[in-house]
Amino acid sequence: MPFQRYLLGLGFLSPALLVLAGLFLMPVALTGIIAFTNMSISTGVSGGAHVITGNLLTGLRDDGVEPAALDRLAETVFEVTPEALARARAAGVDPAFVADIEERLVGRRFTDGRAFERELKGLPHRPRAIRDLKVAADLFGASILNTRFADAAAARQAVVGVLPDAPEATVDRIVAASYTGWQWTTGNFARLLSSPDTLRLIVNTVFYVAATLSFTVFVGLFLAIGTFYLPPATAGVFSVLWLLPRLTPVVLYAVMWKWFTWEGGFVYTAAEALGLPAFNYMKGSVPTAWTIVILVNGFIGASFSMILFSSALKAIPIQQLWASEVDGASRWQQVRYIVLPQLRWPILFVVSYQTLSLLSSYQEIWLTTNGGPGRTTSVWALESFNTALNNYTGDLQYGLGAAMAVMLVVVGVTLSVIYLRLFRFDDLVGRPKIEF
Amino acid sequence: MRLTICDFTKTFDRTTVIKDMNLVVEDGEMLALLGPSGCGKSTTLFAVAGIHRVDGGAILFGKRDVSHLPSQKRNVGVVFQNYALYPHMTVFDNIAFPLTIRREGKADIDRKVRAIAELAHIGDLLARRPSQLSGGQQQRVALARALVRQPDVLLLDEPLANLDARLRLEMRSEIRRIQMETGITSILVTHDQVEAMSMCDRIAIMDQGAIRQVATPSEMYRQPASRFVAGFLGNPPIVFLDGEVTGDGGFASRGVSLPLPGRLRHLEAGRPISLGIRPEHVGTSGGARVSGQVVFVEPQGRETLFDIELEGGAILRSIQPAGDDARVGDRVDWAVDSDRLLVFDRHGNAV
Amino acid sequence: MRRTLSLWPLALLLALASAPIAIMYLFLLVDTVTNAPPGSAIPNALTLAHWRFLVDPRVTGDVWRPTVTTLLFTASIVAIVLVVSSTGGYALSRLNVPFRRFLLAGVLVMHAFPLVTLIIGVFLVLQFVGLYNTLTGVILVKAALMLPFGIWIMKGFYDTVPWEIEMAGVQDGASRFTVWRRLVLPQVKPGLFALALFAAIDAWGEYMLPRILAPSSDFQVLSTYLNAVSDPDSTTYNFNLFKSVGLFYMLPILALYAIFRERLTNIFGGGTKG
Repeated sequence: MPFQRYLLGLGFLSPALLVLAGLFLMPVALTGIIAFTNMSISTGVSGGAHVITGNLLTGLRDDGVEPAALDRLAETVFEVTPEALARARAAGVDPAFVADIEERLVGRRFTDGRAFERELKGLPHRPRAIRDLKVAADLFGASILNTRFADAAAARQAVVGVLPDAPEATVDRIVAASYTGWQWTTGNFARLLSSPDTLRLIVNTVFYVAATLSFTVFVGLFLAIGTFYLPPATAGVFSVLWLLPRLTPVVLYAVMWKWFTWEGGFVYTAAEALGLPAFNYMKGSVPTAWTIVILVNGFIGASFSMILFSSALKAIPIQQLWASEVDGASRWQQVRYIVLPQLRWPILFVVSYQTLSLLSSYQEIWLTTNGGPGRTTSVWALESFNTALNNYTGDLQYGLGAAMAVMLVVVGVTLSVIYLRLFRFDDLVGRPKIEF
Repeated sequence: MRLTICDFTKTFDRTTVIKDMNLVVEDGEMLALLGPSGCGKSTTLFAVAGIHRVDGGAILFGKRDVSHLPSQKRNVGVVFQNYALYPHMTVFDNIAFPLTIRREGKADIDRKVRAIAELAHIGDLLARRPSQLSGGQQQRVALARALVRQPDVLLLDEPLANLDARLRLEMRSEIRRIQMETGITSILVTHDQVEAMSMCDRIAIMDQGAIRQVATPSEMYRQPASRFVAGFLGNPPIVFLDGEVTGDGGFASRGVSLPLPGRLRHLEAGRPISLGIRPEHVGTSGGARVSGQVVFVEPQGRETLFDIELEGGAILRSIQPAGDDARVGDRVDWAVDSDRLLVFDRHGNAV
Repeated sequence: MRRTLSLWPLALLLALASAPIAIMYLFLLVDTVTNAPPGSAIPNALTLAHWRFLVDPRVTGDVWRPTVTTLLFTASIVAIVLVVSSTGGYALSRLNVPFRRFLLAGVLVMHAFPLVTLIIGVFLVLQFVGLYNTLTGVILVKAALMLPFGIWIMKGFYDTVPWEIEMAGVQDGASRFTVWRRLVLPQVKPGLFALALFAAIDAWGEYMLPRILAPSSDFQVLSTYLNAVSDPDSTTYNFNLFKSVGLFYMLPILALYAIFRERLTNIFGGGTKG
């Protein structure tokens, strides 16, 4: 019965639930999971294999594994096995020569390439050219180095095959280290906690959010109150103008800012003409880069707060303003004592809403300064994105990026919950009036 | 069709707002559910309509139990306070909507819509949209839409509340005329006693989720079952005096003494009662007399309303045909029709 | 008269604050049809040369294919957002749904906190379901990102439809679905329209998702096209050309804005009022 009652609602909601579950909840869950792995572009996202590489051996040597054992792992072993013979035949080696090898050397094993070649030279049907002989010899060589093993057992078997008397612990170490897939770890968080970059990023982010937010609120207030007192036609021009940054596709908006601030751009040309320092303001110095980052985002945010404040202003009964004028209030007093107090809630709303969107947005910074010069104007969200998906070097560290994203989500959700309480969310939830 | 509400109980979020309510509306009858706001009258209406669920008891249309049917299967017509016309449809489409839902033939629909529009006097408005209609016209459209599919029961939820005074008067008689012509069992929910009394065969008066009295309008006015009913009906309202029965079959309170109606002379002395005195029973005719000072005069055109303060401080209200016989400050000695006095016991029940 | 005079300083101050925007957008228009001498921003010659990219694919590559793709991209997103928001918003506004409070709060949180931060997760989901590097995948993700806003907006519009309309419909014998489709949906048309406009403008301007989620695919939308064209290392380094392509890209938005200014302003501001 209760389920039946929900049937219609669930039916209507199901498309939304499906999409949101797939593309919001799943990503949240995945981000949470990946944050606890060392997943990166080199580990891949599915399970990995076992490969012993030269780099790995160097690493193990540095970690104090017995060098002799490691040297043996790096050696190529020549072994005359049925598989190797088949390989040689398939590769087009003279069949008579292969038959010779099979007849005389089958089952033999050489750890030295030259010794094996010497044996081959003694065979009756050996190729005349020494190059062909070397090619044939190589076909019998096999090295554990750079071979892919599907799982740990295969890797262990191969390692033990080369190092039959190595201690168990050494073998374990080599096998474990040879794993190329991702592993569970809390290392991302440990790294974030210990890295000095973290603090700098947090400071940057706080500064960015606070500065942009102040710009948004104060300019928005100024615009809203200004246009409120101006004749409608003039006011209209300003509100059209200020909505443009919000409407403009972000790529074009970034291009326009580049034109405005780069060498040869508008400000540059103007500064040159006036004899002021002219350089690429977006990339040339930290203070100008920060100014641009704040303006780029602030202009977009200001239109949002202007619209909200304007509609709140229009909601003030005009009689109140008349009354205050009759009471002898100056324009400034009117703004201070009548208008601003009634904008308290819209201001609070803009502050909370913009805090969240500024915290998590990075597109504009990415397309303008991209955190530069150096990483001076980088913020948390941008760094997380760059770490995971947009590295200059192509070394994409999904795990670390996800860990950063998770921390941002935690902050964001906490703030959201506080805001929901603040704005009396419960008032928005009414119960359905048709009970059937 | 006879409508029976049997032991009806309604709960919202564990608060019971109506408990074990019983009511019968006879076939073809128009019954008013009258009460102050929040008394549960609209909840009852919505339960009958199938918009609210019934938490206990049953609702029967004739012999059919509809308690757990959704409203689509009940065949009730509802006129809402704000009419709830579909703003994007013409008047014709509004009225035709219930029929198109039933997939009736085009010709049938056309015929029925025109017939009902004729009955409601909106035949010439069919092409308009609701926003182009006056309040009274919207009301007529809502009524036509509710009636076009010949519902078993017609429910009217405060249908006149959104009309101005003149239209209210007009629509009062129009709704009653249409209801009588169609003969559909109807319930009118209202908080306005004049509407209830002028439009309905019987009134069920509700307070705090319970029905206090069901009676014809005049019976309810003359013989209210309780002090609440007596106080709710009547404009200007009744005045109550709290006191007790005296030895000689009279009533005494704060310096006022009045004889009780003849049928109540036998009441034992000393019993605490309250006396209800309607303004029209104070003034020119009657067996008892009271004297006091006029403290308030409100001319209402045809009649004049007076408040007189008696010696003990009690205030009586009197309404009399207009004349200029008394002014504020005058001392008057007026008759009281003691046989029409209403008497209630300590619990507010009529004696 | 005194009143108008005293407003001059205010207007001047506003104009000063708006100067960067005014200059940028003025030159966006002017630069596409003029040339300026080196070292100056003031144009001295009229030319249509910067618009040659429209007819000559050798300038910046074919612009029409990305245009068609962007149209398709935008239209699909608008369609998905409208359908899903109009049903989802209705359910949250009017129907019995388990965990209503929680769902509403969830939608609001997702709305307030745009989870582009979760792009890593989205990236992996697309890889798992095989939609990475496809247009479909990007469309789905973009639509999903817009949904919380859409659902919230539509819920707000549904909330303003009088309950009595629905009650009357139910009385008239219509099922809840019919009531929604024939009686309620027509009442929220302005909302649907505003949402469609908003979604169209948002989708038209989208850059990051195609770039990140379909980096090596064979389709291009105008945003990635413009970004490729305006790459500082490109052979076509010329802001007048970038601006021409950009203006071409923005024209549909400007047109929509010119026609529907009022509605757009409402949804850009009022839409987030909850």
